[in-house]
This record gives sequence, structure tokens and C-alpha cells, in this order.
Amino acid sequence: MAKIEFRNVVKRFGAVEVIPDMNLVIEDGEFVALLGPSGCGKSTSLFMLAGIYLPSGGELLFDGHVVNEVEARDRNVGIVFQSYALYPHMSVRDNILFPLRFKKTPRDEALARVKAAAELVRVAELLDRRPSELSGGQQQRVALARALVKEPKLLLLDEPLSNLDASLRLSMRTEIKSLHAQLGVTTVLVTHDQIEATTMADRIICMRAGQIEQVGTPDDLYLKPSSLFVAGFIGSPPINLIAGEAEGGTVTVNGVRFPVEGASGAVTVGLRPEHLRFGNTGFAGRIAQIEPMGREILYVVETGMGVVRVLEQGSSAGHSTGEEVRIGFQPENSLVFETARQKLIAGAHVQAPI
Amino acid sequence: MAARAMVDWDALAARARVARRTKAVVLYAFLIAVSLPIILPYFWLVTIAFSAKTGVADTAVLWRSMAVVIPAVVAFWLVAALAQSRRQLWIGFAAVAAIAIVAFALLVGPDLHLGNFIFLWEPDFASVVRSRIGEVKGAVQFPNVWHAFGNSILIAGAQTAIVVTVASLAAYYLSRFQFPGRSSMLRSLLVLHAFPVLTLIVPMFLMLYWIGLLDTLSGVIIVLVAFELPFAIFIMKGFFDAVPWDIEMSALTDGASRRQAFVSVVLPQVRNGILAIAVFTFIRGWEEYIFVFTFLIRNSNWTMSLYMYWVRDDVMGVDYGVVSAVGVFYLVPSLILYMAAQRYLMQMSIGGVKG
Repeated sequence: MAKIEFRNVVKRFGAVEVIPDMNLVIEDGEFVALLGPSGCGKSTSLFMLAGIYLPSGGELLFDGHVVNEVEARDRNVGIVFQSYALYPHMSVRDNILFPLRFKKTPRDEALARVKAAAELVRVAELLDRRPSELSGGQQQRVALARALVKEPKLLLLDEPLSNLDASLRLSMRTEIKSLHAQLGVTTVLVTHDQIEATTMADRIICMRAGQIEQVGTPDDLYLKPSSLFVAGFIGSPPINLIAGEAEGGTVTVNGVRFPVEGASGAVTVGLRPEHLRFGNTGFAGRIAQIEPMGREILYVVETGMGVVRVLEQGSSAGHSTGEEVRIGFQPENSLVFETARQKLIAGAHVQAPI
Repeated sequence: MAARAMVDWDALAARARVARRTKAVVLYAFLIAVSLPIILPYFWLVTIAFSAKTGVADTAVLWRSMAVVIPAVVAFWLVAALAQSRRQLWIGFAAVAAIAIVAFALLVGPDLHLGNFIFLWEPDFASVVRSRIGEVKGAVQFPNVWHAFGNSILIAGAQTAIVVTVASLAAYYLSRFQFPGRSSMLRSLLVLHAFPVLTLIVPMFLMLYWIGLLDTLSGVIIVLVAFELPFAIFIMKGFFDAVPWDIEMSALTDGASRRQAFVSVVLPQVRNGILAIAVFTFIRGWEEYIFVFTFLIRNSNWTMSLYMYWVRDDVMGVDYGVVSAVGVFYLVPSLILYMAAQRYLMQMSIGGVKG
């Protein structure tokens, strides 16, 4: 168990600065997700934690001690790779045993721990198989057992679910979360999938181009995204972003006028699809497409401001393609961003046109 | 629609079937015809080694053996083409093989003998062979063939051990580490291999002479290693490139040092590459002729290729059966090695070159 701290950490590869200046504290026992698109520096941060990359500057602390130059093998960090990185020439037992080989653990104790770790992730009956004889989900569990068997201070998960099929992903999500609750080990998950991040992590660190865009609980990021980037990245189907001009208490977009409070100049209005409602008032549009999603229905509506997505609860469509509709929303659900700086204007809201 | 219905599908299918079969027959006939000149020398080498007699230039036995082999090859092919099931195939093969063996025993059998392998137990076989035709003037003093055999094993074995060790380490470094001059080094590796070895033979001779390694096995081993290394490194680099970084990183976080990770995690992944370069290097050393011919002088340093050369030089006109027998003896180890390692050599063309 460890408290992790990044203090002004910089990482360069040659002339390329991948992480310009990272500051972050991860509390002992916390489950955090590093979320961002590929190339945003999240895996680089992870590999610095593991000790595979050396930071080019700044300090990386475990429990208040600078570990910048501590070798990977001395950090006691467990890592699960996206590819699982199981050793193909070893049996599952030897794979899980591998980290204990270098700790001079007595054979009997080591085997007992392997067994315990295998039982924890329910692969105890697979110990004599080779990794190539396992399914993706089983390989994933073995990789977890191998990471956990050395009782690490810190567990790192690098896109652990991206190679699994949809239903398996769902169950592994639950399992990883309950493992964390059971073991209490500080866990860092790296993912580009916002659903993985929001479902598993206590806190999400949203990254973009090497910089931390926002840190917060899943709710914070969803309801109060600090920037256009976070708003656009979190949420599926994605938020509707409408750029317009605020002047004299009104945002005007292609002739549609939204009364606004607390903002002026070039702004972008963010409206989550599930906050939009068909009704008698609001802005006008025509339903171009209907996408049933099971217990929700997504309407793709063409409006004067471009395409707007509306999500409605229920399993059967109450509207049909080609129908002329009006779309309204509650003002407190609206978000207003400053277009130039791409930042949220706190407390600013728009109302639906009448 | 009416016109479409007129098409006679059965006739079209029959025509396509005939065309397909004709093509197959022509193709196989061609392949057999061109492969015969390739197979025959090997076949004849063995036949001569077991049948030729001192001082007799008898080729009739070769033609008789061909009369067995060619029909047998054609029959094997016909069985393979016509068999409807795996069982029929094996029965057919067995029948053809049985007939061929009987025919071989009848036509060639009476001429077979082991006398040409006299060199295995009689070091001074040259004099013995010569005396059979009444010639007694001094022959080359041959060392015991097992001595030459041992020298060849020593050269090939030592060369293989060094090449495998050095190539694995060097290729790993080239595959994993970024250092100045890496790409030019890779390019120069290939250029090195492009040198015709013969062009360097004079400078090499001088170097060995000055170091004092001329006419020693270790001198030849060093030269062979130097020439084999670039290619082996290149092949091994391909194998190392195919080992994912993740596995190594995983080993490092699991508590292994860089060296432990290399030995316990990376090396086992390139086992097939190591076996492949080991076999190739060994066979390369086994068949080596130019360097040993130039750099080795005393007959106690002879390798199998030199032994073969001197046998040919000394008794060829008298007894080409002995020459062939030495050839067969020389051939057997590399043949066994190739057959044992075939599986890994096949993988080299797949796993190695793509890297």
C-alpha cells in the first residue's frame, strides 16, 4: 500500500516532450483511472510508476520517498499489461510463481501464495496449463494473479480490458473492482474507455497531450466538466456542443436564440443527449434517424444548428423518422463553455428558446 | 431467362474437370522430369559407394538402379494422385515400396558390398587399393579418417558454440537498444556478408601467419566465426524483434534484473532461432573447404573436406568407389542433423526474415 505523488514530473523522449509538468497525488488505497485518448501520456505515466521509464525531471514519490532512480524490480509494483505479457514458455503456475523467484521466498510458502492468488482470481484449476491454452479472460486473470502474488504496494492496470469481448469486459470490471475493495491496494488504471474509468475508479484523472485536464470523481467529470475536451470525452452518446455568440443575455446560433445567464462573447453550449426532451417548446428540428439502444432510444435530429442527439428512455420509439419536433431542456442541465479558452464558465446556464 | 436455361451446366463442369486433370498431369510430369537430374547424383553417389569395385569402370549397375528408381518415383506419384483415402494411400505406398525393394534386390543387390568403406578401418587404404591393381608406388600418407572426422566436429562445434553465443548477445543488443550508429551498423552487417570470402583469403593468410595461428584449428575457427557472425546476428535480430517488449517489462517489474529477464524470459522465446543458426553454422563449418584448404597444412589437421580432397586426388583414377564411400561418410552427419532440425529450419524462413 502506498501513497503516490507526482511532483512537477517531466518526461521527454529525445526532443519530444510527452509530459511537460505533471502534479498529482494518489492516496493510499485509492483506485484511480488515467483516462485519455491514445498518445496523451497516460501509459508513459504508468511506466514511470513501474520504473520502466525514468522521469526526465521532477520527483516521483512513494509514501513520501523519492523513487525516481529506484529500479523497477525494487519497487514492488504489480502490473497487468494490455497484452497480458504472460511468459508463453511457462505454465500458469510458473508464471504466477515468477515474481516470487527473485524474492527468495521459501518454496512451500511460494507455492501456497501462488495457490492463494490463483484462487483469488479463480484460475486455480488452470495451474498446469500453458498461457496459449487459455482464453483471453483466463489469461487476464492469470496476469492479475501474477501481479498480485507479490502483494504489491501499487497495482498498475494498462488497458486491462481492451482485449476482452463485451460481456467478459463487464464481468471483469466487476471483479477487478471487488478485488480492489477486498485487498485495498492502491490501483492505477490506464484506459481510453470512459466507461471503464467511470465504472471502476474512485477518481478519474483525465489527460490530454501530456497534461492533466481535470481530476475528479466520475460524477464531477460528467456533470461539471472543466473543459470542452472533458465534456466531449466523457459520456456516450457524446454531449451536443453548439457554438454561438452570447450578447445581451442571449446566445444566438444560426438565428436560434437561447437566453443565457452569466456569459458573454463566443461561447459553446453543451447539452447532454439524455437531458434533452421533445415537447411543445424549444428549438425546432426534424428527426433524421432513430437508433434503438435497448432500453433507450437515440434520435438523431437535424436542426438549424447542425445535428443534435436526443436520448429518450423506453424501448419503443415514440417518434418516427421525418417528424418535425421541438427540443427543450432544464436550464440547470446546460453547460456553457468559453469557446476561446475551451473552459467551463462556472454557474452559467442557457434556457431553451420558447 | 430462356437463353440462360439453355446452358448445359453438366457439359461445362465436365470440360472444366478434364482441363483441371490435364493440367495437373502435365504439371506433375514436368516436375518429376526436372527433379530427376537433381535426385540422381545423390542416388548414384550412394549406389556407387556400395557397388563399385577397384579398377572396374562398370556403369551398367547405375542404369539398372535407375530402371528401378524412376518407375518407383512415378508409381509413388500415381498412388498419391489416385488414392481416395489415407488408407489406400498407405497401402499403395507400401505396395510400390515392396515391389521396388524386390526389384532393387534382384537387379542391383548382387553388386552391393561394403568393401569401399575400407578407409574406416584401414588408415593406409590407399596402398591397399593400389596394390590390388599392382601399383605399389608411394601414396599420400592419410591420417586416420576418424581423426579428420574429429577435427571437423571440433571446428564445426567450436564455431557453432561461439557464433550462437556472440550472435544472441549482439542481436539482442541491436534489437533492444538505441545507440548512435545503430542503423549504419545494421546496414554494414549485410555488406560484410556480401563479400566473397575468397577475396579476403590473402590478407587472412597473412594475419594468421603473423598471429601465429596458421595451420592451427583455432585459427580456422576464428576466421569462420568472423564470416558467419553477420548473417547469424541478422537472423537472430529478427527473432528478438518478434519478442514483445511487454514480456520483458513484465519480468523487470516482477523483480528480475535485465540479465535475469534476458535469460529466463527472452531467450526461451528465441529458442527456435538459436537452433536454426546453430544448425546452419554447424553445417557451414562441417562443409568448410576453402579456408581449411588454405590455412591448414599438416595432415594431422585435416578435416573431412581435406580428407575427401586428398582421397579424390590419390585414388580417383583407381577406385572411384572409395571416393564415393568417403563422400557418403562425409554426408551422413549433416544429413542426420538436417533431418533432426528440419522443423526449426522451416521456421527460420518464417520467423526470422520477417523481422
